[in-house]
Amino acid sequence: MKSKPRSADQKSDQPPRWLTLCLEWLVAPHLHEQVLGDLHERYARRIQLHGKLNAQRRYFIEAMSYMRPIFIRRQTNEYHSPFFLSTAMIKNYYKIAFRNLFKNKVISAINICGLALGILCCLFIFLWVQDENAVDHFLADEETLYAMYETTTTNGKVAGSYAAGFVLAPGSSRISFALEQIDKVIPEIKYQAYYATGYELPWGHPETFQVGDKKIKLEGSRAGEDFFKIFSYKLIEGTPETALKDIGGVAISRHMAEMFFGSPGKAMGQIMRHENRADFKVTAVFENLPRQSSLKFDYLFNWEAQKTKLEFASNEIRSYLKLTQDSDPVKVEAKINQYLATRLEKKKGIQQRAGLIPFYDQYLHSTFENGKPEGGRIEYVRIFTGVGLFILAIACINFMNLSTARSVKRAKEVGLRKVVGSSKISLASQFLGESLLFTFLAMLVAVAVVLLLLPSFNTLTGKDIQVPIAKPSFWIFLLALLVVTGLVAGSYPALYLSSLEPVRILKGVVRFTRGSLWFRQGLTVFQFTMSIVLLIATIVISGQTRFVQNKHLGYDRDNLVYIRIEGKLAARSNYLLFKERVSKLASVAMVDRSTEAPHDMGFSVADAVNWEGKEKNDAVYFSPASVGMDFVKLMNLKVVQGRGFSKEMATDSTDAFLINEEALRQMGMKDPIGKWISAWAKKGHIIGVLKDYHVQSMHEKIKPVVIDVKENEYFGVILIRTKPGKTTQALAGIGNIYKEANPDFPFNYQFLDQEFNKLYRSEQVIAKLSNLLAPLAIMISSLGLLGLALFSAEQRIKEIGIRKVLGASIAGVVSLLSKDFLKLVLIAICIATPVGWYLMNKWLQGFAYKIEMEWWVFAAAATLVMTIAILTVSFQSFKAALMNPVKSLRSE
Amino acid sequence: MRRSDLGEFEEIVLLAVAALSTNAYTLTIAEDLERETGNVVTTGAVHAAMQRLEQKGYLRSAWGEATAERGGRRKRMYSVTALGGRILEESRAVRNRFWERILPAVRMEWN
Repeated sequence: MKSKPRSADQKSDQPPRWLTLCLEWLVAPHLHEQVLGDLHERYARRIQLHGKLNAQRRYFIEAMSYMRPIFIRRQTNEYHSPFFLSTAMIKNYYKIAFRNLFKNKVISAINICGLALGILCCLFIFLWVQDENAVDHFLADEETLYAMYETTTTNGKVAGSYAAGFVLAPGSSRISFALEQIDKVIPEIKYQAYYATGYELPWGHPETFQVGDKKIKLEGSRAGEDFFKIFSYKLIEGTPETALKDIGGVAISRHMAEMFFGSPGKAMGQIMRHENRADFKVTAVFENLPRQSSLKFDYLFNWEAQKTKLEFASNEIRSYLKLTQDSDPVKVEAKINQYLATRLEKKKGIQQRAGLIPFYDQYLHSTFENGKPEGGRIEYVRIFTGVGLFILAIACINFMNLSTARSVKRAKEVGLRKVVGSSKISLASQFLGESLLFTFLAMLVAVAVVLLLLPSFNTLTGKDIQVPIAKPSFWIFLLALLVVTGLVAGSYPALYLSSLEPVRILKGVVRFTRGSLWFRQGLTVFQFTMSIVLLIATIVISGQTRFVQNKHLGYDRDNLVYIRIEGKLAARSNYLLFKERVSKLASVAMVDRSTEAPHDMGFSVADAVNWEGKEKNDAVYFSPASVGMDFVKLMNLKVVQGRGFSKEMATDSTDAFLINEEALRQMGMKDPIGKWISAWAKKGHIIGVLKDYHVQSMHEKIKPVVIDVKENEYFGVILIRTKPGKTTQALAGIGNIYKEANPDFPFNYQFLDQEFNKLYRSEQVIAKLSNLLAPLAIMISSLGLLGLALFSAEQRIKEIGIRKVLGASIAGVVSLLSKDFLKLVLIAICIATPVGWYLMNKWLQGFAYKIEMEWWVFAAAATLVMTIAILTVSFQSFKAALMNPVKSLRSE
Repeated sequence: MRRSDLGEFEEIVLLAVAALSTNAYTLTIAEDLERETGNVVTTGAVHAAMQRLEQKGYLRSAWGEATAERGGRRKRMYSVTALGGRILEESRAVRNRFWERILPAVRMEWN
């Protein structure tokens, strides 16, 4: 078709474009010239005879006259060509594919390895994400189950928490809760139950149960009477109505029942001694909680049983609701808030509101933003899903690059197939089939590796994931992954190779268009950008994790063991005797006590502390502790002003307080020594200021601390500093003494450094996962670069030959071939640096104490990637440069 | 009888091709037919008929020159084959024989 005349005048005489397009689409291509020509000519004549409007109308009628089979039927090929998906053709495709697979073993291996690595990452991430998503999704009526959260606005500052106890009048001897009657008041709420657990609770640690001689420590909680009506945890014995009805009753797990009584059946109605204090009758046995339960307990008491103790715990009480079917949570939320408004005590500047979130969502949405549950594990789920997709994309890009690189060799085959009568569709489907085959093989490898590595993966992530062979979702995922990966990876080679023109191929001229070159280079830049971002993330995350674990906390946490004070040890004389006996052990350096474990002093209350010169509106949240005389020395805390506690000073046990620098800052006091201070109704004087030390994880800012000595209260923990290298000996000795001193309780101890590291469990998982993923991404990307280098060397094989013949040095040829790729990597570095900085900066915001992102992080990432790229490319370039030019030039 | 092969519209198209001799392509034929019959004749109808005629071997075609008013596209010029000519002759003979047998009295009645 020749180009149409394009004068402005004639252009306006063109027949309606859309009709022409319709015709072009409808009428068989071999008739186009004649049909369109006739119509065009007739249109032109009619314009002159009858005017434009008439011509257009008639053109339409004319066009309609071509709507008949004789024009629509496409010209059939003279030769018979089988349907492109016929069995014979598919067999042929696979035969060719396998031949290619074995012909280029190296490239095939690179290809399959790259894809397998990508799929491997995806599979692991899928298993992890699925496991995270499955949490709490096993309960019946899950869409009617809600967790309540509390949004507290204090002087304009908004904070959110799942601790939604709504305690009325704290501090009084009778505790009551604002929500207690709520299921009677609001008809949409079928049941409401409180639930209390958490480390801040007096019982938020294992509790001892005793039956006969058996004493075992287990963890459990308290819950409202309707708990089992809300949650469909399976009861083996007992009914949801009676399980928690009785104040003297306890519901225990199958596990617990078997440990104490041999079987769930034998457990019912039996008496268990709790903390050597009170007896409880087993009123129900529930099936061991599934792994996917976010609530973990081995026993549940009726909430009322120890309600008076709840005052301490008011900031860890959770509230769960079951709504009636089809009720609107937004409306219920409004009603709850209306109800709360009438019952909650009005405090100036403080506003409390309740919010509802589906119960199964609370696990993933564990942190609050603006008082609403928004962040938390869900972010990691999203990040990892994204990373998985990106790594898969990188792997697919590799496949594309390598396939196109090989296309010089495949081009002849394409040309021949075309000449013999293969259609474009048939060729494209052949290449897609090939990529599907490769993906399938890669997937087999990946699945095998997943099965092999799953135990280590579970150790790494602290999960117990099984490959869900029985679940259709797993197979659907595999199939989808196979198809998507295969199609994406095969799409470009399929489209590209099938569009090659046979005449030019067979003449031996395969030229790559600028566009296709740009496309592939773009893909490479994308690949490397992703890899570098991942690498930066890895460096920053592991740096932060190391920082958090090694940062000096302000105290010495090595060789520090702690034991809960319970049973007889809570009595002064027993404690002192125990302390004396343990101190005498040769392997023990020092013993003292504290009301809170030093890494877990999150408990804080405003208004409980007063001091000289306090302004009325100063609301400082102090972390309190009552300790023994040797605490400061034992913990290796630094005293910056004044002095620590001393046995020689008679007043220290009744009158002395230590505060930390943060407290001093917040109290706004100058010259604190000797000023009066009162905490929890005890009044005394400040005798010293401690250097700031961390009382919680690094996520939290250092809190103001106030410490005193109470000689008459013995609860909390006994801290024991063992001599270096003698921990085992010490524990054996302490164990023996403990058995005599506190025979009713099992000996149970924690290492402070281990407990401390547990605070960063999710960061450690992230660090380990990214340590794993980043090298993988770089590896896959480098494979891709190798592919491009191969491609380029193959393209320029004759050029290299000529250059060598004309006297080019090997170094010259290597640099010639390498510099194009290194340019791409450089561009990727330029893009990745700000992206990486932005993302990691955001992540670091979650820590109150964090590393600075220094320039060397980016330099290191860039250098590492550059080095790997240079090694990859120059290997291939050397190979090309060293080749005998006679070989490459002989053919012409 | 061959006659059954040739539809009435086909016959008239074939005749038009013969009459136009060197300038027979879809468009001129359609216009000729419009002029002679007074009916609207679309190129599509003509084209379809000519395709069938070509298949039957009564017409042959060859690419003609391209003109600007066709948007630079070439024409397909048609001419009657020997077989086509014989068929036309035959059909004319058949008609003639019938005409000759019509009694003058009958023809008087029509007018």
